[in-house]
Amino acid sequence: MNHLSEAQIVLHCYGDAEDGAGVDRHLAECAECRARFQHVQQLLRQIEPIEVPEPPAIFEEKTWLRLRDHLPEKRFGFRQWIFAPVGRWAFSAAAVLLIAAAFLAGRFWPRNPVENAKNTPLANPQRVVLVAVGDHLERSQMLLVEIMNADPGTLGDEQKEARDLLDSNHLYQASAMQTGDPQVAGLLDELGRVLTEIANSPSQMSPGDLQQIRGRIQSDGLLFKVRVVGSDVNSRLRRQEQAPAANSQRL
Amino acid sequence: MEVTDAAVVAQVLAGDRDAFRVLVERHSRGIFRVVYRMTGSQPDAEELVQETFLRAYKNLGGFELRANFGTWLYRIAVNRALDFLSSRKTQMQNKETYSIADSPDPEDGRQVQLPATGPGPERVLLSAEIQTRVAQAMGLLTPAERIAFTMRHMEGQSIEEISQALKVKTSAAKNCVFRAVQKLRSQLEPLAGRGAVSALPGYSGGYGDAK
Repeated sequence: MNHLSEAQIVLHCYGDAEDGAGVDRHLAECAECRARFQHVQQLLRQIEPIEVPEPPAIFEEKTWLRLRDHLPEKRFGFRQWIFAPVGRWAFSAAAVLLIAAAFLAGRFWPRNPVENAKNTPLANPQRVVLVAVGDHLERSQMLLVEIMNADPGTLGDEQKEARDLLDSNHLYQASAMQTGDPQVAGLLDELGRVLTEIANSPSQMSPGDLQQIRGRIQSDGLLFKVRVVGSDVNSRLRRQEQAPAANSQRL
Repeated sequence: MEVTDAAVVAQVLAGDRDAFRVLVERHSRGIFRVVYRMTGSQPDAEELVQETFLRAYKNLGGFELRANFGTWLYRIAVNRALDFLSSRKTQMQNKETYSIADSPDPEDGRQVQLPATGPGPERVLLSAEIQTRVAQAMGLLTPAERIAFTMRHMEGQSIEEISQALKVKTSAAKNCVFRAVQKLRSQLEPLAGRGAVSALPGYSGGYGDAK
């Protein structure tokens, strides 16, 4: 009687051997192969899965913030999108909608150039500031998260980013004051102080230096405030975008 | 109702780059677990998670929307891990890359933290020794063997899934699993006489064919 090969025995432990039923039959009849099979099975049971440490609670956010800056700016090609399965349907539906919308717009769109001019971004300085501040707060949030998770040592990139942000921070703070937005202006004032501290720290940051900055971020609840105000700014922007549409529907 | 992955992908393809965040939030932890098991290092696993999503974003146009995004992403992660292990093997030459730590040092990504074991000090010691040998043997596997074994033994993936992820035939995927098991056996056999594994009748340690 031919005995089972090593490969048959090992693969059968996972149910992957060719002719599994034949292997089972042989094992039922052959005590030697059965013993070898049971031995390999027992050995494989001893190999436990590698225990995976739980990543930090902010892992997803950190991953996204680090990733976002590396995502290419390029838009996906029109052809690529059109030829995707959903893209084809979406394109057909969009074409129908576009024709219908063009027809309706021609009939009902208000022909009032003065009113339209009021809705352009340039005619609304507060909106311009909000867009810029929203972006500024996102970048700041990312920097603060990186600082909270950084290892002591050279933090040259983070310090450079802090200096860049600091330049625009003064400008946005002044703009927020002018447009009567004390909540944003107050936050930018607090943020500016922490950015100054990061930018002016020694280039080789010791654990003590880093801990001091982290303590400052934590004690002021700065990261939380940046998130809340950033979210508020985005909500206000969305409301402003929806408002002209609602107005035009009422006309 | 939760938006499906396919709908989010369509949103990203339509130009909403920030929608990609939803996919990162849904899948990054799962991908981390997969690549950690393959690399045995937290910093490397975190880096590979980044690379996986970056690669996925760049190739999103080629994703078939009817397919499962998680499976597609998993395959990218496996490929990234394979590339990473291959380049690390080249860099490290034949150096020992893994060690077992009694008190794992989070700074040292090459250390493998052993799972807790059952009762009895002798049993604990023996089990720890088995895992030590397993970790050593894992360092001896080729990148493809390591990934195939991790996927089959630890992740419970099928041979078909392994062959698709490694872009090899099913016979080659089976061979990778088999070779990995044989290498692990050669490390664990010395413990056989100590009660961890019963004595093996007729086992010669070779890659024997049918007798």
